[in-house]
Amino acid sequence: MGSHNRNGVARTMSTDRTPLTQETEAQLRAIGPTEILVGIPSYNNAQTVGHVVQAVSAGLAKYFPDRRAVLVNSDGGSTDETRAIVANTAIDPNHLFISDQQSVLHRIITPYHGIPGKGSAFRTIFEIARRLSAKACAVVDADLRSITPEWIELLLRPLLDEGYDYVAPYYLRHKYDGTITNSLAYPLTRALYGQRIRQPIGGEFGFSGSLATHYLDQHVWESEVARFGIDIWMTTEAIVSGARVCQSFLGAKIHNPKDPAADLSAMLTQVVGALFASMEQHEKLWTRQEGSHPVPLFGFRYEVGVEPVHVNLERMVAYFQQGLTDLEPIWRQILSPDTLDQLLLLKKRSGNDCRIPDDLWVKAVYDAAAAYHKRVMPRDHLLKALTPLYLGRTASFVLATQGLTSAEAEQTIEVLCQTFEHLKPYLIKRWTGLGPSSPPDVLVHRATADAGGTYE
Amino acid sequence: MSEFLSQAIIGPLQVIGQRVLSVLPNVLAMGMILLGGLGIAWLSGNFAERLLRVIGIDHLSDRLGVNAALLRGGIKTDPSRIIGRALYWTVLLLATIAALGALNLAPINQFEMSLLAYVPHFVTATVIILAGYFLSNFTSQAVLIAAVNAGLPPARLIAATARWGILLLAGAMALEQLGIAQHIVVVGFGIAWGGIVLAAAIAFGLGGKDLAKDFLERRVAGRPRAEASDDLRHW
Repeated sequence: MGSHNRNGVARTMSTDRTPLTQETEAQLRAIGPTEILVGIPSYNNAQTVGHVVQAVSAGLAKYFPDRRAVLVNSDGGSTDETRAIVANTAIDPNHLFISDQQSVLHRIITPYHGIPGKGSAFRTIFEIARRLSAKACAVVDADLRSITPEWIELLLRPLLDEGYDYVAPYYLRHKYDGTITNSLAYPLTRALYGQRIRQPIGGEFGFSGSLATHYLDQHVWESEVARFGIDIWMTTEAIVSGARVCQSFLGAKIHNPKDPAADLSAMLTQVVGALFASMEQHEKLWTRQEGSHPVPLFGFRYEVGVEPVHVNLERMVAYFQQGLTDLEPIWRQILSPDTLDQLLLLKKRSGNDCRIPDDLWVKAVYDAAAAYHKRVMPRDHLLKALTPLYLGRTASFVLATQGLTSAEAEQTIEVLCQTFEHLKPYLIKRWTGLGPSSPPDVLVHRATADAGGTYE
Repeated sequence: MSEFLSQAIIGPLQVIGQRVLSVLPNVLAMGMILLGGLGIAWLSGNFAERLLRVIGIDHLSDRLGVNAALLRGGIKTDPSRIIGRALYWTVLLLATIAALGALNLAPINQFEMSLLAYVPHFVTATVIILAGYFLSNFTSQAVLIAAVNAGLPPARLIAATARWGILLLAGAMALEQLGIAQHIVVVGFGIAWGGIVLAAAIAFGLGGKDLAKDFLERRVAGRPRAEASDDLRHW
């Protein structure tokens, strides 16, 4: 399966080119064909980007000393020192036990075109990879504080030596870190496409040159993909294009906080929008997929201490409660009557009592996907209206995993994933428009919803 | 005697007969136009209804929330039927006007002219009202979601304000088009909007007094920026 489809990926030829600046074009001509490319998208990351560039340089020098490599910084118009730091950061090879640094690391620092966002930055990186005929590429975020030179090897080695096309990261994170991943992105991609990629929106990836070309050829650069949707889109597109997919264990992911409350709604909209759009595009594929299977994991696994995450439970529940009151008419259009009825039972419940059980959450997500597909309202409104629901679910997850270790919390996520897989026929039924679930279901699930919390 | 008869009775009768004869073709033409109009109205109305059904306008309007809006307004008919009937009555109205015109009578002609002159205004007003309705729906939904996501308690109030603001604006524009109570509408609206803008300006002014002061000081007195931000930090 792998080789056949990889040929398919390689065969696609691009017709329209992504515009690059004159200087970048000149640099590309000077550098010529390259084996390895590492991309760093950035926007005002002066605090952290130096560390990232050092880790990348050291990783390339240490693990791939004899390969021609390029570092590409695709910058979104930083107003701080980001670009200067990328250009001038150097490593001391002696302290890192790097004895023979054979090839020079070329650096390309370029602005990108298109909608401001991570996706557009990646597009420019893909284009440079294509022009340089890079064999193996990796991208790492500029806000990372825990990146080490080993990450570069872990992201690139499976591509160069093991014949993989796509390397997803595998991090150890605090149980409350990455809740969009845990409650939505991971279980949904797993249920849809059958591959257990634990961090589908990780932020750091490795991919082959042919996969980069495949990405460039897709006409998605005006959509959510151009922004935060890029991560989940790269993962799903890799799976559906038939690329060979694996994961690499990178340890802990610590990055500068991005003011999570401020743009949660936008972030969620972009991730969920990209997920739902992929579902529309690859309907034939996911409707036939049953169950899921593990994806190979490279790297040496070890335990790490993770940064604690503080959660304001009352605030999340308050958002959800306001959604229940104010957005009810909108949710009524998105969700099936059963799902909404069960959610409405949670009205006026506070704190510990306000819990969205697994099956209700899964049905709500599946209802939303079907509503997106059927365009019951402007799609942007639909996606944004899911924010309070998501916050309600996140609060439920926090309540359910209070006092659990990370491993135990992971088990909770595994159960959720199985619910997603188990209820997939419900999704297909809703998606193809054969109507909502039958009334007898309601009683059963009401019972579970009631059992979810204790009364005062 | 016979002379009297021919003068007093037959003469006027002849005149009437001549008049009737001269009008008769017009009346006949009116009847034909009416009949033809009726036929065309029926045909076009039915054809439009079927065509709209085939291209699935009902489904589309269901998605756009038009059906729900109609239901709220107590109309249970589907949109393709409504459009078909509207077309039928429009064509019939035009045919009637044309038929009356065929009589070629001065008062009717005048009435007809003023009626026809009013039609463009009526169409414009309808379009304004419809556009205003859809825009108000879209905007109030967007505002409601954004307000809930921002955690603002009066989310529904804000959304309703947005909806009624747009509807009022559209209504005033439509009334102005129709020429109904023009002055009152313009003046009333001017006062209402002016009041809102003034209230907002005062609120912003009071809330951001120091920022505005700082901005003006920098602009007018040319005070350097660094110092200004330093001030802000102390504040």
